[in-house]
Amino acid sequence: MGKLAIHDLLYKVEKPARYLGNELNSVHKEVNDNTIRFAFCFPDIYEIGMSHLGMQILYHLLNSKEEVFCERVFSPAVDMEEEMRKNKIPLFALESREPIKEMDFVGFTLQYEMSYTNILNMLDLGEIPLYSKDRDENHPFVIVGGPCAYNAEPIADFCDIIILGEAEEVMVEVIDAYREFKNTSFSRRSFLEKIASIQGVYIPSFYDVTYKDDGTIEAVKANNPNAPEKLKKRIIQNLDEVFYPEEILVPYLNIVHDRVMLEVFRGCTRGCRFCQAGMIYRPVREKGFDRLQELTGKLLANTGYEEISLSSLSTSDYSNLDSIVRHLIDEYEKDKVGVSLPSLRLDNFTFELIQEIQKVRKTGLTFAPEAGSQRLRDVINKGLTELDLTNAVEKAFGLGWSSVKLYFMIGLPTETYDDLDGIKDLAFKVVDIYYQTDKEKRGKGLNVTVSASTFVPKPFTPFQWEPQDTLEEIYSKQRHLVDKLKRKNITFNYHDAKTSFLEGIFARGDRRLSRVLEEALKAGCKFDGWNEHFDYNRWMEVFEKCNVDPAFYANRRRAYDEVLPWDHIDVGITKKFLVKENEKAKSGELTQDCRTNCSGCGINNGFIGGIC
Amino acid sequence: MFKMRSRFTKTGDLVFISHLDLVRVFERAMRRANIPISYSQGFNPHPIMAFATALGIGVSSEAEYIDIQLDEEIDVNEFISRLNAVLPEGLKLLKSQYVAPKAESLMAILKRSIYIVKVDLETPMEEDAVRAQLSDFIKKEEIIEVKEKKKKKGKGGFRRDRDKNKVQETNIRPLIHELIIFSLNGQEMLLKMNLAAGSVGNLKPEIVVKHLKELTEIPLNLESVRISRLESLKEHNGQFVTLMEE
Repeated sequence: MGKLAIHDLLYKVEKPARYLGNELNSVHKEVNDNTIRFAFCFPDIYEIGMSHLGMQILYHLLNSKEEVFCERVFSPAVDMEEEMRKNKIPLFALESREPIKEMDFVGFTLQYEMSYTNILNMLDLGEIPLYSKDRDENHPFVIVGGPCAYNAEPIADFCDIIILGEAEEVMVEVIDAYREFKNTSFSRRSFLEKIASIQGVYIPSFYDVTYKDDGTIEAVKANNPNAPEKLKKRIIQNLDEVFYPEEILVPYLNIVHDRVMLEVFRGCTRGCRFCQAGMIYRPVREKGFDRLQELTGKLLANTGYEEISLSSLSTSDYSNLDSIVRHLIDEYEKDKVGVSLPSLRLDNFTFELIQEIQKVRKTGLTFAPEAGSQRLRDVINKGLTELDLTNAVEKAFGLGWSSVKLYFMIGLPTETYDDLDGIKDLAFKVVDIYYQTDKEKRGKGLNVTVSASTFVPKPFTPFQWEPQDTLEEIYSKQRHLVDKLKRKNITFNYHDAKTSFLEGIFARGDRRLSRVLEEALKAGCKFDGWNEHFDYNRWMEVFEKCNVDPAFYANRRRAYDEVLPWDHIDVGITKKFLVKENEKAKSGELTQDCRTNCSGCGINNGFIGGIC
Repeated sequence: MFKMRSRFTKTGDLVFISHLDLVRVFERAMRRANIPISYSQGFNPHPIMAFATALGIGVSSEAEYIDIQLDEEIDVNEFISRLNAVLPEGLKLLKSQYVAPKAESLMAILKRSIYIVKVDLETPMEEDAVRAQLSDFIKKEEIIEVKEKKKKKGKGGFRRDRDKNKVQETNIRPLIHELIIFSLNGQEMLLKMNLAAGSVGNLKPEIVVKHLKELTEIPLNLESVRISRLESLKEHNGQFVTLMEE
């Protein structure tokens, strides 16, 4: 088909710079018969997808291989999609402007459940059959990975290959295996059988799911001799040796995270019981100071960025945080390069460090107590006390801050209205502390923003068996907080509970939801993570049409002995550990940070051979 | 403190980036080129630079201008070659020169822009007939552009009566200094326009085309309009000359 003529379309759409494909550090390759072509698809708009570090890593990793050409694809915005469909232009890869249906692999990153309809819409726009079973030797392999891949069952029927865990090595192994097949006449099945035994590769069509009369799963069984019964995730052993890009794509548009992102470590030792990332990304592995120093120099020189962020699940836990921040300031202050430290915890909040950073660029302060009362914080194992918060806030106001954000979740297991009142009490305390701070020292114009998201139970967490609050329960809790938080200087934001309900359904869903997704696509559902596009009633009509009860997935308590849709996946932590943690949650018993005391999650059995 | 004034082009795919995107491209290009640029004070330091005018998305230009403030004096040719080495394809400095630090800003001196506008005819028309229509158009004393001015909402989300969108009427005729056929090949027409530009009065070529379609018989296809800025002019001793001429 060759290069598509999209030039005239670009004059008609909003933000045409989304579709240019020629940004700084983008890769363009000559294509020949041996070129293995990979379309890396992010199922959301450009500004979101370009902010994703994983895409930057895999894009440059794959392109560092000879005879592999990896290109980017994002969901076209609604206006662009309309123009493309009107002009019969199939979904194309940005760099070559060639259709994705002509590629060898079409990869999707699964960052959040609400993007599933966008995946189907992209396949549809790309003229690729939705279901894996309907694809033949002329179609690309649809390969997915990312955090939602640990329970990709709701979209398993649409995927040929699912990658479990960190992709840097296993992706290259899959592509190397494909090299032997490329340009030969081979059956799709023979290639899938060849890679099925690679650790971290899950071929969903090689497994059958059977159900009991009550709707729960009876068993998940392999139906192919090459498919292992239990599927283990992949991890990277040494973060200093693993590939990391030395140049990253620099967009023209202002994207969500428009800066150099420097990954400092993977995993998290805190063990918060609601947090899926804290469980699935174990064990903790750091990049060393020397490696970070080397990468920083190259990344800044190759991008011209004015800001760098140290990224991880809990950046203040990084062992060399102090030295790396000081290095960044000493070395790059003259170039006015700002440093941002997302996800700092306030219990080991290093104010001295923050003050250093502020010399260059001023940032806001965000605290995440997650729950309002000490009781509930103990339930979720957020080892943080009210004193930690008040101390930190006191210090912050004394240093001239006047704007503070507080993040909470509502709908956590065991939550009562007393816990919600705790949110109010904390917010009011913060306001009081401000007025107790010396007028000379504190900043002007106090603003306390309280944000409450709705808790969604996720697979591979101690709360994976828990029911999600019903919509009515969440609405009533939100109303309660709106009433309680009416006070000057306090802004209260809460997330749309309907979106969280849908997220809850798909997070713990099984293969029977694929039909729901297919119908949702037909009904016009897409961009469900965007308030202006999300249509709850339409979704409920689809569930009804498919005769699927959403509450079965979202609001049902599971028994410990129920076969869960993701039980055939091994992320390294044992079910025994998760049960133990859930029981400890019920009695409000804390589990220590595993840097201090091993909590026996099981990750050191088989994944890293001994100690974390 | 030194002020470098430059002329550059914006062509190819780069016509699709907005003015704000362009500012970021320059900021980052200057870091990569190690240009000793001056930064603003305050919590969010920014390189100090200023453009003559913002170019609309989709419009190409042979005549964009930028002032960049430098902390150190560097050789002009080196400035050009270092920056051109890192600017994306589609952006290119043509000429740079130092101006007095207190020189009047580009935005203040810009008075007119010359454009070439490509527009297709939906049905063929004789060149003489088009010419006659254009001449009628230009003879008009008033060509009124109606613009709805969006007012910001009142505080707290309440809309007050005076916040209602106001309609502003402007006579754009005095802002058109020249409007002629550059060429007509079959149904593809190129128009040359000399229009007011800058802070005093500014007229976009697409507005002229829109009124041409409304007020004349020329069967213009508005979707086919493609605009290119050829030159930007200031007034110097009663003459219009390019912004970097002395």
